[in-house]
Amino acid sequence: MTRMLCLAAAIAFLLGAIDSNACRAQSLAGSVSSAEESAMEGVLVSVQKSGSPIAVTVVSDERGRFRFPAARLSPGRYALRIRAVGYELDGPQAVQLGATGAEVAIRLRRTSDLAAQLTNTEWFISMPGTADDKRPLIECMSCHTVERIVRSTYDAEQFIPVLRRMAQYANNTIQARVQSRVAAREVNDASVRKLASYLATINLSRASQWDYELQTLPRPKGRAAHVVITEYELPRQTIAPHDVRTDAQGNVWYSNFVENFLGELDPRTGANRDYAIPVLKPDFPTGTLDLEADAEGNLWLAMMFQAGLARFDMTTKTFRIFPVQSELNDDAMQQSMVMPHALNVDGKVWTNDVARQAIMRLDLETGLYQRIDPFKLLSRGHPHSPYGMAADAGDNLYFMDFGDENIGRVDARSGAITIYPTPTPKSRPRRTMLDGDGRLWFTEFTANKLAMFDLKAESFKEWNVPTPHTYPYDVFADKNGELWSGGMASDRVLRFDPQSGRSVEYLLPRSTNIRRVFVDNSTDPVTFWAGNNHGAEILRIEPLD
Amino acid sequence: MSGMIFDRDWLRIALIVISVFAAPQHPRAGGVNFGDDDQGTADKGPAYFGFVREVGGPGIADAKVTASLKAGGALVTRTDIMGVYKIPGVGKDINPDDVTISCAKDGYKEANVVRRPGSDPKDPIETECYLQKE
Repeated sequence: MTRMLCLAAAIAFLLGAIDSNACRAQSLAGSVSSAEESAMEGVLVSVQKSGSPIAVTVVSDERGRFRFPAARLSPGRYALRIRAVGYELDGPQAVQLGATGAEVAIRLRRTSDLAAQLTNTEWFISMPGTADDKRPLIECMSCHTVERIVRSTYDAEQFIPVLRRMAQYANNTIQARVQSRVAAREVNDASVRKLASYLATINLSRASQWDYELQTLPRPKGRAAHVVITEYELPRQTIAPHDVRTDAQGNVWYSNFVENFLGELDPRTGANRDYAIPVLKPDFPTGTLDLEADAEGNLWLAMMFQAGLARFDMTTKTFRIFPVQSELNDDAMQQSMVMPHALNVDGKVWTNDVARQAIMRLDLETGLYQRIDPFKLLSRGHPHSPYGMAADAGDNLYFMDFGDENIGRVDARSGAITIYPTPTPKSRPRRTMLDGDGRLWFTEFTANKLAMFDLKAESFKEWNVPTPHTYPYDVFADKNGELWSGGMASDRVLRFDPQSGRSVEYLLPRSTNIRRVFVDNSTDPVTFWAGNNHGAEILRIEPLD
Repeated sequence: MSGMIFDRDWLRIALIVISVFAAPQHPRAGGVNFGDDDQGTADKGPAYFGFVREVGGPGIADAKVTASLKAGGALVTRTDIMGVYKIPGVGKDINPDDVTISCAKDGYKEANVVRRPGSDPKDPIETECYLQKE
C-alpha cells in the first residue's frame, strides 16, 4: 500500500503537483491560542524549512486548529511564523517534523507595536481626512508602504522637498533599489503643498503617538480560511516581480521591475533563473513591467525607460529587442505596456508612450514604431495615461485610461478612436484582460471597483470591492467565471463571483505589494499567482473549494 | 463681424495644430503623479448632455449615445435609469458644431435629435434624442 502511495506521489510530482519528498512526509498539525482568545480562528500559520526558499501557509479554523497538507512538507526543521493582527508569536519559534508527523501548540501574545502590523488599507481607514485628502497617497504605494509616511516626523515645510525629490524617482523604484528619472517630471506646486500639509496631520510630527485610533480588519474565517498559500523567496531583494504568468509546463515567468532580467521560477523546487535583457540605455532606470504571451507562447516585455519592447523566444531562450527609433527616443521615453496577443493578424504589436500619453504601434517588419494620440478628442489639461491593454481577434486595441476615467478603442485598420467613459467618474481604470466571450475585465483603481466592458454591447458593469481603500490593481476572470484581484494596499487577494456577488478575501502571510495577477486554469480548483513587488517573492494561492 | 469669425477660425485652427503636433510632444515624463487628480478642468470644452426619450413617451434607460466628431473618432456612453446621459471631457479645441449626437437601442430606430445650444460657448450642450419602436 505504501509503495502504491509513493508511486502515486511520484506521478503527482512528475505532474508538478507536489514535493518530491511527499511520500516520506506526514502531516504537520496543531492549534493556535492566546490568553485573550483561547482557541483562535483565522490565524495564518507559516512554516519554512531550513535552507529552503519555499514557505507554506495555512489558516486556523473556528476551533483554532490547522493542518498542512501532508504532501507539502518533508521531514526536517521548520521555522514558524504567524499573522494575526494585534498578536505576535510567543512560541514555539520552530518545529521538527518527523517521519510520523508532528503536532504543535502555538501560543500568541498581544503585540506591543500594532502599527507595524497594519496594512496600507488599514492605515487609510484609520487616518483622519477626506477621500480627497487621502487620494494622493495611493501613488506612494508604488514604492513604499503608508507606514513609512505615518512614522515620519516631517512637518509640512519639511515634507515639500521630500515630495519634490520623490516625484523624480522612476516608477520602477523599490526600497532596495531607488532609480531616478533622467527627464525631470513636472510637479504641481499647489498639489505638493496641499499634500504636505495633510501628511503633517497624520504622521508623528506633532506627537510621539498617533492621535487617531488604529483600526484593523477582521481575521479571515469560513471560506477565507480554506486555502493553502505558498511563498517562493527570490534570491535577491532587488528582484521586484511585477507581472507573473505560468507556462504549459507549470513554470512561472515574471517581469522584474527594477533589474533587467526576465525571471523563471520552478515551483517544484523553488529554483530561480534569470535571463538577462540587453541594456539599451545604460544611464537610465532598468527593469520591465508588462509581460504578455503571444499566440505562439513567446513572451513579450515592455522595457520601461530602456525604451522598447523585448521578445523572448521560449524555444531558444533568447531575446529579440525592438528599441524605439531614435527620432522618438528621448529621455522621457517609457514603455510600460505591450500587447502582442493578435500580432499574427497584422504583424503589429501595441505599446504605449507614457510620457506623451500616447499609444505606440510596432511594425515587426520594419522595426519602427508609430505614435498615435488616443486622447485627441479629450481635454488636454487633464492627465490621461494609456495603461492596461487588450487586443481582440482583429488586433483592435482596447486600453485603460489610467489617468482619468475612460476605456479607449483604436481600430487596427482605420486608426479611428472611440472613447467610452466609465459610469463612475475619475475611476482610473488600470489593468485588464479580455475573456473568450468578448468581455473586458478591469479594475477601477481609484473607484475601488471591479468592472466589465462588453465589447459587443458597448456597455459597462461595475462592482464595489468589499473592503474600502483596497485600490485593486488588476483582475483575472477564471474558467468558472469568478474574478481574482489584488493590489498594493490590503495584503489580501479577492475572489469575487460577479453573478452572485459572493466574495472571499484571502489574507496573505506578509506585507504584499501585488501588481499583475494570473490564474492557472489548468488546475482544479484554479491556482492564483502573483508577485510581491516589494518583497522579492512569488505567491501561489490554492483555494480548497 | 466677419473679422471676428476669421479670428475665431484662425484660433481654432491654431489650437488644432497645437493639439495634434505640440501636445503629444509635451513630456509629462511619466505616468500619474500625486495631485494629478486635482488638475485639468480648465481645458475642458462643454459637456454634452440630455435625455434619450421614446417619441411621446418616457426616457429610455441604457440607450447608447454616441458623440461623433467630424474629424473622426467618437465618445460613447449610455443613458441612466431615467434616460439621461452626459458626455464630459471633450477637448475645448473641438468645435461643438463638429460634434454630432446620435442614439440607439435594440428594438428602436432614431426618430429625431433636438439640440439646444446655450448662449455661452462654455455652457453644456443639451441634446435630446428621440427613439421610436420598430
